[in-house]
Amino acid sequence: MAYQKIVKMVPVEKRGKLSDKLIDFLLKSKKEDKMPGGLASTILNQWQQGSLTTTEDGLAALLEAAVLLESEKTMELLEQELQLLDVAKAIKGAK
Amino acid sequence: MIWEVFGMVKFGIEFVPREAYWKTLFYAIQAERRGFDNLWITDHYNNRNVYVTLTAAAIYTKKIVFGPGVTNPYLINPVVTAQSLASLNELAPGRVVLGIGAGDKTTLDAIGLEIEKPLTAVVETIEIFKKMMEGKSVTFEGEVFKTKGTKFNFKPKEKIPIYVGAQGPKMLETAGKIGDGVLINASHPKDIDYAVDCIKKGVSEAGKNLTDVDVTAYTSFSVHESPEKATEAAVPVVAFITAGSPNVVLERHGIDLKKADKIRGALKTGDFGQAFGSVSKEMIEAFSVCGTPDMCIEQINRLLKAGISQFVVGSPIGPNVRKSIDLISEKIIPHFKK
Repeated sequence: MAYQKIVKMVPVEKRGKLSDKLIDFLLKSKKEDKMPGGLASTILNQWQQGSLTTTEDGLAALLEAAVLLESEKTMELLEQELQLLDVAKAIKGAK
Repeated sequence: MIWEVFGMVKFGIEFVPREAYWKTLFYAIQAERRGFDNLWITDHYNNRNVYVTLTAAAIYTKKIVFGPGVTNPYLINPVVTAQSLASLNELAPGRVVLGIGAGDKTTLDAIGLEIEKPLTAVVETIEIFKKMMEGKSVTFEGEVFKTKGTKFNFKPKEKIPIYVGAQGPKMLETAGKIGDGVLINASHPKDIDYAVDCIKKGVSEAGKNLTDVDVTAYTSFSVHESPEKATEAAVPVVAFITAGSPNVVLERHGIDLKKADKIRGALKTGDFGQAFGSVSKEMIEAFSVCGTPDMCIEQINRLLKAGISQFVVGSPIGPNVRKSIDLISEKIIPHFKK
């Protein structure tokens, strides 16, 4: 399932916290080389336009990047902290 | 309010492009959106290339003013510096500045470049830079650099302001004389007082006013709502600054020379635990602007009183760079700007 579809499963009230945490994962990640150039451009363009943390497309890009760079932390965040078990399951299914 | 007393201070931010390009750009975009005026990117051979980073920054930003902070005449020939800045100025007209200094001994040593006649090299670089920007053929016979009928195959756009990175008295004086701005690597009013006195000599010699020069404090900065966390983030940077400071500067701040030596020795042997553990409160106060937003505001005020017109937030910025940029934007910049 594409990440655009997966993020629709995230309740609106949890999207702010999720995007905030995912951005932290990405900026603190030491696995920088796992970031595809195209995805980095998408994130930067959306960040510049102000849509990274406010739209489903932005959240989808963050989630995709976080799963690539920090898979374990991202799954832990979804399953334990945010209790988004169906989202975590959908990501595992998409991998 | 503060801006009524000192005029409108500019806020700059410095990034060392040692991380992936997209991280530096993420912060650059954030800094622009959060009200910073200037973006400075350092230039060392062992990090990402300064002009690649600046080119990307030019594309991803719209109004922030940016430039190398600082490049040097040894790593990059002055003509290539002029070419790079002129090209950037086509990409982002009116948003480009040059930061030029003598360079960092450690990284230049590593590639076999000696810092010979630093003052002359910087002055000659600026002369060549200015002439190249006029779009004319440049023949220059200097002590360090020579050009023979050097000319661009394109016409550079408008004038690019030149900031001189300076620490010693002669370089500071020269910066005041020939620069549009001075970048002072200092975080404490005592060092700024000293620098401004030197700059004033140069300014007066050139028949200018101090207000004609953008006196910029390039600080080591760390902000967090918890002063302990802010300090913890500042410690490694302060250790390196202490180790690299001449005794005259350490004595100016009442820092025990033996303690500084201990840090130098530990850093040389790679014993970072010992080095960072030896950083004292006096060192933090002397070489960083650090603490809660209110504590930082107080320290910035003291630097403004000493005569700065631009405050640059430099490494480490805070324990979490993104959140510290937000904090600066929400709690510090509004205190100094309308």
